Amino acid sequence: LTPFDLVEPASLKEAIALIDPDDPDVRPIAGGTALMLMMKAGVFRPTRLVSLRRLRNGLGQITSTMDGELKIGAMTPLTAIEHSSEVKRAAPVIARTMRRLANVRVRNVATIGGALAHADPHMDLPPVLIALGASVSIAGISSERSMTVEDLLTGYYETALAKNELITELRIPTQGNSQAVYFKVTAGSVDDWPALGLAAAIVSEGDTVRSVRLVVSAATSKPMRLTAAERALNGQIANEVHLKRVADIAAEEADIIADIRGSASYKRELLRVFTARAVRAAMEPRGAPH
Amino acid sequence: MKAIKPQVGHQVGRSLPRLEAREKVTGRAEYTHLMQLPGMLQAKILRSTVAHGRIKSINTTDAKKIPGVFGVYTGDDIRTVIPDPYYGPAFHDQPILAIGKVHFVGEPVAAVLAADPHIAEQATQRIIAEYEELPAIFDEVEAAENKVLVHEELKPAGTFADLKHLKGRKGTNIALDFRLRRGDVDKGFASAAHVFEHTFRTQKVLHLALEPYASIADYREDGVTIYSGAQSPSFVRTEIARLLSWPENRVRVKVPYLGGGYGGKLYIKMEALAVALSMLARRPVKVALTMEEQFYTITKHPSTFRIKSGIDKDGKIIARKCEVWWNGGAYADVGPRLTQKSGFTASGPYDIDNVSIDSYALYTNLTPAGALRGFGIPQLVWAYESHTDMIARALKRDPVDFRKQNLLHDGRPQATGTILKNAAIEKVLDRIAERLNWKKPFDRGQGVVRRGRGLAVALKAVISPTTSVAVVNIAADGSATLYCGTVDMGQGSDTAMAQMVGEVLDMPAESVRVVPRDTDVTPYDMGTLGSRSLFHMGHAVRLAAEEARDKIAALRRELGEPEGSNAPLGDLFRKKYGMQAGNIVGTGIYKPDYIPPDSSGLTTNATPFWMVAGSGVELEVDTETGHVRITRLINVADVGKPINPKIVETQLSGASLMQLGFSMFEKMHVDGGQITNASLADYKIPAIHDVPPVMENMTVDAVQDNGPFGAKGVGELATFGVSPAIANAIDDAIGVRLTELPMTAEAVLRGLYVKDNRPLGDD
Repeated sequence: LTPFDLVEPASLKEAIALIDPDDPDVRPIAGGTALMLMMKAGVFRPTRLVSLRRLRNGLGQITSTMDGELKIGAMTPLTAIEHSSEVKRAAPVIARTMRRLANVRVRNVATIGGALAHADPHMDLPPVLIALGASVSIAGISSERSMTVEDLLTGYYETALAKNELITELRIPTQGNSQAVYFKVTAGSVDDWPALGLAAAIVSEGDTVRSVRLVVSAATSKPMRLTAAERALNGQIANEVHLKRVADIAAEEADIIADIRGSASYKRELLRVFTARAVRAAMEPRGAPH
Repeated sequence: MKAIKPQVGHQVGRSLPRLEAREKVTGRAEYTHLMQLPGMLQAKILRSTVAHGRIKSINTTDAKKIPGVFGVYTGDDIRTVIPDPYYGPAFHDQPILAIGKVHFVGEPVAAVLAADPHIAEQATQRIIAEYEELPAIFDEVEAAENKVLVHEELKPAGTFADLKHLKGRKGTNIALDFRLRRGDVDKGFASAAHVFEHTFRTQKVLHLALEPYASIADYREDGVTIYSGAQSPSFVRTEIARLLSWPENRVRVKVPYLGGGYGGKLYIKMEALAVALSMLARRPVKVALTMEEQFYTITKHPSTFRIKSGIDKDGKIIARKCEVWWNGGAYADVGPRLTQKSGFTASGPYDIDNVSIDSYALYTNLTPAGALRGFGIPQLVWAYESHTDMIARALKRDPVDFRKQNLLHDGRPQATGTILKNAAIEKVLDRIAERLNWKKPFDRGQGVVRRGRGLAVALKAVISPTTSVAVVNIAADGSATLYCGTVDMGQGSDTAMAQMVGEVLDMPAESVRVVPRDTDVTPYDMGTLGSRSLFHMGHAVRLAAEEARDKIAALRRELGEPEGSNAPLGDLFRKKYGMQAGNIVGTGIYKPDYIPPDSSGLTTNATPFWMVAGSGVELEVDTETGHVRITRLINVADVGKPINPKIVETQLSGASLMQLGFSMFEKMHVDGGQITNASLADYKIPAIHDVPPVMENMTVDAVQDNGPFGAKGVGELATFGVSPAIANAIDDAIGVRLTELPMTAEAVLRGLYVKDNRPLGDD
């Protein structure tokens, strides 16, 4: 680590003003669990960090509306989300995902806004949030906008955020009868980053799929909807024969990347297997363990 | 310590909690990594970016200009204070900083000193080193062809007599070739009813102690003091004295507790660089590596093992041929020793009349390899116990019965010709089989998840000959202090040694003070390595305590105490010296007998004791994903009579979990000599979720006749059998045989697909 300036603005407006959009060495820092590793490795050498720590009062709340929409302030630590009764009620898949997300020390410090802005394709929450149809509010120097998490994540560590834009809030729409699951599939240590992440959110009636969102992550350069597989499932009876076909379609459409956690062919097989497993799990009667 | 009620009576055999545990868990224990000296500078290292190259230039101008930088140094600067700056236990081949050439990615090329380590680190980025790249070699079998040479000339250290013939040898990457010939292996194969040949490989992994390498040197005209997380302080003293052409008494090595060692912190690691930089700067200098830099310091040996066995019509193994290539990396470190010593038992714990062993230490352009918990044995057992299981299955023999038919027993000559003694191999095998309910039906699972079980047993000779010295000092109040050089790096040796002193002197082990390692104070010890300390140092400690006990008895007689008097020790001193004054000092020196192997690798005394251990595994395989879940891991060892049963148990569990990581997923990924996963983010070691839900760690009822209190070492034992037991269980579950480590889920699934005749693509 080399010396740098640390500023701690008290307001969102001030924070945005302190970020110089033309200087790549100035960046906002939320929990810092990812940024500090990049700094330690010398990949990122800031001249100034704009800490968002003091924004937690305004941006650290979890609320739910009457109709079941969930609003989570961007500075909310992952642990708070993990243990929130609102989250458990509205989107239990998030609380379940947290259990194997990094470790408790990271979850205590990392924030949901930071996790989304970091855009590491191996992270567990983005595919889950895309499956749930979540969106984010974004504040810029003089404007605010909103976009889906799916649109936010544009590539490998890349987002649609301008340098001086900050995520302020995550919104998860009411899930109604939808049931969601996430599979973190590691290829080595159980505690490793996933070789494949697979999230599914399904509304079903008996064996018939009414609507489905399938999202692959970790094996791809960014979390991606498996739209062809979704189309093949929608309105269909998810029997084993059909699931096998859907799994093949998923494996066909995903652009899988090889890395130290596995070859592309292996991860494609994992995607095939876990597409079927995820659909099955998301169609199990409510409350069934998985 | 205060909370524990000292226990009187027998001290050996007590499950005494570790004496230092309280200090460690409350954060009071001292570690080199955290130590500070007044005026101390911190070093940061510029490392080679090429695997093999001639250094064209190193430009330090810009780096020196950074405010706060004390100095920037290269190999040329080192030579102004140490003219011949090459070190190593077996070969003097490793320069303190690269000279002329670099031999692996990550080799130290230059060092920056600053009071602020961040400034030093920043300055290393401003050094510009240019290389003329040379062809590099990474594979151990290819290295043996000598088409690309890592070093122009071999430079054996001369410390080991059996390496002397290699001096000045040119045109080779082979740093040592050990050969053993027993009987006539070709005749054996000719008369065999079945011949099997398989090749096994192991990958590059590393120790990854949670305290990275750290040394501090404080150089003065009249002497140098080194603080270091070192496993062999006496060796550091000898080697630094040699580099400085000084007598040993001007070099002082102090070793606090270690945050793990596992063989990595043996011999010279950061010590020589710290000393050289302190000489140049005339200030205390600390060299403390980051976690990531450990990937460029020392690793375990990758290996290739071709093994061939001939079996007669009755199922008896009558011939075994072993060829082992050890990937030693760019500098020999202790690789040649490992190549020879592990070679003694490469044919396994079996009674085979005709054995041929060739074991080669190879130089390659990778991070050097050295000792890592097992000293080569885990790589060998991986091969011979997989091979043995494959033979049993091919011959439709029960794997336990086939092993029992061929097992080596006490009184029979081992491959070297040394008669086996106090080696409870069959007891260990029987216990594993019993715990696995081997003779009973086994639930093999159904559908996607299939279950299997497997086991493995192993034999190791301890590195020999080695020497340990200990001193026990009785103060005038009767309290006892132990001075010994065994380094407690987490294995609990201080506690075990105190128990032995307490046993002899009839006092609670908790009351025995064990002095921290300091070569000005603690006497010589070869090193804390190879599970040798409990046996060798244990004997030295026992002898020292016995001498003190005899002197106390003599004092009682001299003072006219009646026979059997139990007058307190303090009273004796007061009576003798008229006040609380004086000391009784007992010393103990232990060096076991040893006969070096002849030109055929044969000797009647290869080792003072045999290490015996094995593992049993039950597991589940997800046949759709290849995921293996180890549901039960059993480790059984012959440790003679345990000095501290609880510590023995934790050593067994710790060693087996370390090997579980090496077996299932740990791997340094190397691409053109670059390590692509050199961080804990991308290189995972086992964590709590990787621990099998059921683990059993146990010892068999045994006595080491020539051991201190019937005991022998334990540190490495549970590493031996883990990998092949898992591979054998996977084969048992799904009929897929893995011959290369690690056994990742992908490797398992690929095996299943090959078996189904639809191999997985290579992309």
